[in-house]
Amino acid sequence: MSFTQPKEDKKLEEALVREFQGGNLEAYDKIAEIYQKKIYGLSFNLTRNQMDAQDVTQEVLLTLFRKIHTFQGKSAFSSWVYRITLNASYMKLRSKKKEPNVSIDELMPSFNGAGFQQEKIQDWSENTESLLFTNETRDVINKAIDLLPEKEKVVFLLRDVEGLSTEKAGEILDLTVPAVKSRLHRARLFLRKKLANYFEEFTSRKVEK
Amino acid sequence: MICCKECLDLLYDYIEGSLDQETTDSLEEHFQECPPCISFMKTYKSTTTICRDTLNQVQVPDAVREALLKVLKENKEHPGEN
Ligand SMILES: [Zn+2]
Repeated sequence: MSFTQPKEDKKLEEALVREFQGGNLEAYDKIAEIYQKKIYGLSFNLTRNQMDAQDVTQEVLLTLFRKIHTFQGKSAFSSWVYRITLNASYMKLRSKKKEPNVSIDELMPSFNGAGFQQEKIQDWSENTESLLFTNETRDVINKAIDLLPEKEKVVFLLRDVEGLSTEKAGEILDLTVPAVKSRLHRARLFLRKKLANYFEEFTSRKVEK
Repeated sequence: MICCKECLDLLYDYIEGSLDQETTDSLEEHFQECPPCISFMKTYKSTTTICRDTLNQVQVPDAVREALLKVLKENKEHPGEN
């Protein structure tokens, strides 16, 4: 389910970074072009605000320009960029009043004493197609993501949305692989529950027709 | 037979394909007896797909792209001023 960066892209990127470190400004333009969308997308999904995402993108791209000599290649260049992006996004979030997060535990699956599921589980996985890119669905998804506690949210964004490997997400966040997995699993359970409320209603409406 | 709780705890690794054969077998045995867990597994999987497809649609607006280009250009010409 995860897709990692193709080898050739990675080589090309490493070459660009070396060239830029050697003073080639065209290499910097290419790096900025490659990363602009990733930086903007991640910071937008974290801050949910165009101005903030723009500020963060600008700040990160300028930081890459100024601090490239401090990049030593111990971790992947992309991990370095993601880490700078996360820090800049967190700065934006810290400066704002925070909505209280719901407790993620309340939305975890519930079981009876014998360990069997207590709620009725519907399968709405086949019925999402027609709703997928409607504004209503996008709102539901964005709201659900916003409600995720930050720890879970960032893991979900890096791993499931950006498509990074578990190992790489761990490297960026300084977490062990089991910690990444457990946060991601909780994020998915939480989001599944949130989306279930919405899609189940739609599915039952469809059956009634 | 494993219970639903154990089943859901194994979902992550099951979807990754990282469970050993024996555990996979007992999980699939559970699925055969427990339609709710099949539904859960399918909707757990689509949750990722749906969220990914939606959140990946974020595009850099043209105005932002232009503003960034301008800043980067100025920065290259006069480093350290913004
Ligand atoms: Zn079950």
